[in-house]
Formats: sequence, structure tokens, C-alpha cells
Amino acid sequence: MKTWLSSAILLTVSAGLAFAHASEQGFVLLLPTDIYITAGVASVALTIVLLAVLPPGAGEALFRTVPLFSLPRLRLRHLTSLVATGVMVFLVWRGLTGPRDPLVNPMPLFVWTVWWIFMVSLQGILGNHWRWTNPWTGVGALLRLATGLRAPLRYPRWLGHWPALVSFIGFAGFLLADIAPTDPARLATIAGFYWYFTLMGLVLFGPVWMVRAEALTVLMRAYARMGLLGRARGRLAAGLPGWQILRRPAPSLVLALFMVILLGTGSFDGLNETFWWIGFLGLNPLEFPGRSAVVTQNLIGLFVANAALLGVFAASLWLGERLAGTGRSLREAICLFAPSILPIALGYHVAHYLTAAMVDGQYVVQFLDDPMNTGAHLLGLEDFYVTTGFFNTPGTVKVIWLAQAGAVVVGHVIAILLAHALAVRDTGSTRRAVLGQAPLALFMVAYTFFGLWLLASPRGL
Amino acid sequence: MTKLIKDTTRRGALKTMAGAAAGAATMPLWARFAQAQSSEPIKIGFQQHSTGIGAAYGRWYGRTTEAAVKLINENGGINGRMVEIVAEDDGTDPKRGAEVVEKFATQHNCDVGFGTLFSHVVIGSAPRAGELKLPYFVVSEGHHVASGMLNRYTLQPGITDVKSQVQAMAPYVAENLGKKVTMVFPDFAFGHDHRDFFTAAIEAQGGEVLEHIAIPPAETSFTKYFPKIPRDTEVLYHVMVGPAVLTFVKELGEFFGPSRPEMFGFIDSLEAVAIDSPGLEFLEGTYFWEGMPRHAQGDQSEHDKFYRAAVGVNERGASVSDPTDISTYAHMFGCWETLYVIKAGMEAAGYQGPGDRAALIEAVEAMSDMPESRAHPQGAKVFNGKTHQVFGHQYISRVEGGKLVKVHTTSIEDTFYPDEVDYTTQPL
Repeated sequence: MKTWLSSAILLTVSAGLAFAHASEQGFVLLLPTDIYITAGVASVALTIVLLAVLPPGAGEALFRTVPLFSLPRLRLRHLTSLVATGVMVFLVWRGLTGPRDPLVNPMPLFVWTVWWIFMVSLQGILGNHWRWTNPWTGVGALLRLATGLRAPLRYPRWLGHWPALVSFIGFAGFLLADIAPTDPARLATIAGFYWYFTLMGLVLFGPVWMVRAEALTVLMRAYARMGLLGRARGRLAAGLPGWQILRRPAPSLVLALFMVILLGTGSFDGLNETFWWIGFLGLNPLEFPGRSAVVTQNLIGLFVANAALLGVFAASLWLGERLAGTGRSLREAICLFAPSILPIALGYHVAHYLTAAMVDGQYVVQFLDDPMNTGAHLLGLEDFYVTTGFFNTPGTVKVIWLAQAGAVVVGHVIAILLAHALAVRDTGSTRRAVLGQAPLALFMVAYTFFGLWLLASPRGL
Repeated sequence: MTKLIKDTTRRGALKTMAGAAAGAATMPLWARFAQAQSSEPIKIGFQQHSTGIGAAYGRWYGRTTEAAVKLINENGGINGRMVEIVAEDDGTDPKRGAEVVEKFATQHNCDVGFGTLFSHVVIGSAPRAGELKLPYFVVSEGHHVASGMLNRYTLQPGITDVKSQVQAMAPYVAENLGKKVTMVFPDFAFGHDHRDFFTAAIEAQGGEVLEHIAIPPAETSFTKYFPKIPRDTEVLYHVMVGPAVLTFVKELGEFFGPSRPEMFGFIDSLEAVAIDSPGLEFLEGTYFWEGMPRHAQGDQSEHDKFYRAAVGVNERGASVSDPTDISTYAHMFGCWETLYVIKAGMEAAGYQGPGDRAALIEAVEAMSDMPESRAHPQGAKVFNGKTHQVFGHQYISRVEGGKLVKVHTTSIEDTFYPDEVDYTTQPL
């Protein structure tokens, strides 16, 4: 009753002051973003035209790798994973008992800034570090060593990647619709239980649990396919991001869906902050009532956004198959081309979180300077204050915006190149590939526009 | 569990304890020191907008709070006890805000709640504070406290409210800028407050508002509204907020060219934005309300100087470590001053623990004059114990060569209006 009453008061009585701040977004609105967006979309479209006139192997040739050196067979990954477990235990402990401020407590700083922003981006840009940095496999190996036991249960084949898909959707819902995803104790409880649950899965079913059922590992392994660095013929090799996708077999249908949903979720993460979305919900973007007012709306939005993306993606592929007459089933087409969406998702991830990384990264540094809140300055940062000054000057805002736009455009260009290479390889002819690709390419051009529009739109959060 | 902001060195504490005046002053120095170190700290729950729409303000509210508490602790704390800030993020969300208030009272054993800025969070949280009988000191500027819609446990002793601010502008505007005013404001509660309070105030000065131009909140281009500005407008009163503010200024400049009416605005529009930013040249020669002058003035008080140094803000209101990082200078002093009011109230009430919360409320209600001092660097104030609202000087600055130059200081009396509530009649 009380809550109802106060909400009623909120809605009807003059709310006094609002302080939607003018920084950053204010300067973005002054930038000629129309011109930048046009240029970005044009470069993606140009890539398609170029691929159509170049010889069939040209696309794939871009993904040739340079072998670097033979990888020594060091078995350090369990050791580093154990270190990651130690960090995890520390984070949960501090989450439950440390400072309550999410910008001071390491639990939210590590989950949302260090892991979700930096480590995920790094995984996609560089390659599979999760093999060394996940907090489970080391403990799993240790338990095996200590008990001498093998996994007692067999992972049911029919489950496939479904558990990972379902738990990733749960993660996305938490990220986008929970009212306090940065609350240290709440996050520590959830992360702690998830860690324990996953360890149980690993112990009971063996490593297959990690690569099929554990959402974060599935996410990281998907992005690892985008990495600059990877293993080729026993050597460490480097190539244009995406080269590893061309060397791997097509994913299963559920894993392919997972990749599409990665993009859909990322896009909705951007969309739900825009004036457009807040207005669509009938709320005032200058007086955003807070996350608690949009829990259901954001969950529905997340679902609809992913369903819509999946629908458009499948429709483009279906149309392409009809145009080119390749005789692939829709299922085969989705599995074949879904990895080509990964660079778009990664590019948008980097672009969307760049500004947050620039600010929250400073809080991480501040934490490292004084990890136990004792007033220590381990890094000697005595007069260090977190700043957001770069959002207040037109020059830096322009550089930041263009960097974000660059990540989006590069992501789409790579996506087009990849999709083309995958199609040529599968059909053997440029003409057929281009024809079959046309609807998907059109979709990617439209998505470039959408991604850049998201970056240029005024935001209410 | 919490962030303890205090001077951690024994020597530092000892040195500053020597200067401690009030509270435990009757005890010998060594006893005071020993007590401050050994007693349970006074816990102040800081309801901070760390995330959400208020985060830009939350960061500076946090920085000011930290500076004030550090100083209070260096000078012996409150009643000989150290002050500990328990900062909880409310996500700038009223529902979460109420939860945070509850945590302060039931989980963290805080003595008081403090620091809320956004009005909807205050309005969502205050009822819970009232039910839990947790003294709740807000720093929000909203008229909601003095309007009577909250309760006896909610007070705003460190920052003036929007009604008094707006009304105090009218005499200067009518006398110096013109009597025929056109108002441009965003079409929601914040803009409506300005519309209602200023229209009444300018009429009381013999002026009139020729036109009220309400702009839909989601608007990002304003050219189509400008032709509605009557030609005989002498003063354009603008209070746009949000990301489109800079576009608004730019388009206004393009519309008027060199011949514009006088312009008067609230710095809220450009809080945390450098006034000499490219694109804001059009604001040269226009006037702004400021809660506290962002740029150090020729007649800068030693208190302002001291306060800036403690918070780490330079003479242009920017962070000492990054001159492009502009503070929310017109508002954040409210945290500093509120903490000193809490200190004074606890000392007057002989506050020992949660059992004395009612006595603390009564002690603050009994306050009236607050002279300008280090505790009140923004200026002298008068607290109204019945309405739980403080009243104080307001500043009008003119943009001159990219600097906000103070041209007028209102009297405190300019900001008074008849009481709308008497909270002291409510039970404690």
C-alpha cells in the first residue's frame, strides 16, 4: 500500500528538479553525425561492391595467416586458472563484506568492468585467454588430481548448447532488467552460487560441461573465434580477425542461435538507453524514473529485439538461398553464416562500452591503488581523482565518437568479408555467392546504420 | 563492510585533535583521542547516485562528502567519535532508494541517512525514512520538503529549494534586464516549477510573462519553437536541461544573431559543462543563477578558498587533477554544509546513538542562523525548523569573456515565502 501510494505521489506531484546532464551526449549532438553515419554505411556498402567485382578467392585471401612461432607445451593454464579462482574468492568475500559503493567495491568493478568490458573485448580482439583466466578449470583439475575420480555422469547429447543459451539469456536479463545489478552483495551472492553450480557441473560431467552448458565459457569461446591470434598447425598464428572462423566447422544450430542472440542482446543494451526507447515506453527521458520502473518492459524488449533480429537474419538467409539456388536448408544456412555476425556483435560491444570503460577503468585503477580501503596508495596515486573531463570538450568527444563508430564499421566490414568468404567456399562461384549474399549484405548495411544511429542518439541514462 | 574515511595516521589525528573545539572539549586531550579511536563511529548512510541518470552528480557529491568527512574527522569527529560514511548506490531509482534507506536503518545500523539529490528518489525514499524514524538529510533543492509532502524525519538544511531560488531572481531581472519576459522550459515538472514560481514572482515585481514556451522533453531541435518568442520580449528566461542543451544554445544563437534580448538562465542547464566551450559563445553577456559561484570571484571569501582546496577544485570550478573536469559546483556544497549541520545537531543533542534520533531532529529544528564560515562556505543561511528547509543567498552571474562573473547577491529575505507546513506538529 505504502509503495503504491508513493508511486502514485511520484506520478502526480511535481517532482521538482531534474539533472539530466548535458555533457558528452550534448557534444555528440553537435557533431555532424549524419555525415559520419553516411560515410560509415557507404564504406560497408563499398566492401560489398568490391567483393562482387574481385576474383572469387580475394575475400578468403584476406584471411591468410602469418605463422608466428611454435607453442611450447607449457601446462600453466590450470595454475593461472587457480589464480583466477583466488581472485574470484576474494571478490565474493569483498562483495559481501567490503564497501557498499559499486564504484569502490571490487566485485561489481571486476564483473562489469574488468570482465564484461575488458576481458570479453580482449577475448574477441586478441584470442582465447579464457583458457587461462577462467576460474573453474584449475580447480576441476586439482580435484581430479586429488581424488583420482573421473566425471561420474555423461553429459546428455540432446542437451547440446541449450543450457548455455538459456543461462546467457538469464545473464542478459540480469544485466538489462535487474534493478541493482551492481549491488556488491547481491552480485557476490549470484556470482558465488553460479561459480559453485558450474564447478559441480564440471565435476559431475567433466569439461564438456564448460563448452556446452556454461554460458560464459560458450560466450568466450565464440568470441575467441574472432581473435587476431590463434593456433594453426601447432603454431601460434595471426591473421585478420575472423580467420579462425573460416578454419572451423560450422557451429551447431543452438550455438549459432547463441551467436545471433549475442548481437541482439548487445543491440538492445544500446537501444534501451535511447530517448526513442524511453519515449516509446511513455517515460520522460529527462526524468528517467530508474530501472525499477522498466523491469518488465526491458525483459519484453530484450525478448522482442532478439526475436526480431533472428527473424530478419533468417529471412535474409532464406531469401538468399532462393535467389542463389544453392539448395541449402535454412538450418544449414543459419549454422554456416551465424559466425559472420560475431564481428558485428564484438564491434558494437567495444563501441557501446568504450565510454563506460574510460570512466569505470579509472575506478578499477583506484581500487588497485587501495585494494582494502585502508587509505593505501600501492600505485602511488595520492592525488588521483576520477575524471570525466574528456566528455566535456568537443575535441575529445569527437575522437571518442569516431573511435566508437570505427569499431562498428570495422565490425561490419569484417562481417561482410567473412560472410562472402564462407559463401564462396561453400558454393565455389562469386556470382552465386554474391547473389545469395545480397539480402544478408543488405541486412548488414542496414545494421551498420542502426549501430551508428544508436551511438549518435540522445540517451536518457 | 563500509568505507571508513578518516585520517589513518595517529600523528595526523593527534595533530588535528589538538584543534578540536566543541563536543568532547571538556575531556583531556589524550582521553579525547583515545575515545575517538576506540568508540564506535557515527555512521552516516550516504544515499549516492553512483549509477543511473544522476551518476554525474553522484560523483561530485561523493567527492565533496569525502572531503567534508575527512576534515570533520581530522578535527575530532562528532562528540569525540569518528564519522564513517556508508555509501550505498540507489541507481537514481526511487524504489531502490527506499530499499537503501531501509538498509541504512536495519542492516548497517546507520545513525542517519544523507545526501540524496534527485527529487523522485527523495520522494520515493522519505516515507520509508519516516516509518523507520531514521533522520533523513536530503540535498536535493526540491520544494518537496518545504511543500509539506514529506515527514518530520526528512530535512533539507544544507541547500535552498527551487521555489526560493526562482522567486529571488525576479527583483534583479525586473530591475536590470526587463519586465517583459518570455519563458522557455522543458514540459515536465522541473520546467513547470520554474514556470509557476517565476511567473508569480515577476508579476509581484510589476513585470509580466508574455509567453510560456513549453518544449517536449525528448526534443533535440528547437528552431521551430523560436518564432513563438514575441518580438517585444525584453528577457528570455531559459531552463533547458538534458543532452540537447548545447544544441538549444547553438540554435538560439543562429536564430537571434547579434540582436538578442537579455537572457537569463539557471546554471543547472550547464552544470559540469565548461562555460567557455566552443559552441557556447552565444552565452557571452547573458545571466545565470548560480547556487555558488563556480569561478572564484574577486571578493572570494577565505571559506570558499578553503572549501575548494579541500574538495580539490580549482578557481574555475574544475578538478585540480584535470582542468576539463568541471564540477557540479552550484549544488555540491550542499553535501558539505549538510554534514556540518548533522555534526552541529548531534553535538547540540548530545547524540549517543539511535535512541537519540528524535533529539537530533529537535536539535536541528531548533537551529536558525547559520553564519558564513568554513562549515557554510556558500554563505550565511537561515533554517526554518517548521518547514525543515534552509534559506540562503542566491547568486546571479554574467558570462564575461568565458567567465561567470558574479553581478548580484540576493538577500536571504528575498528567498522567503510563507510557510506551507509545520512539521513540528507531527509526532516524533
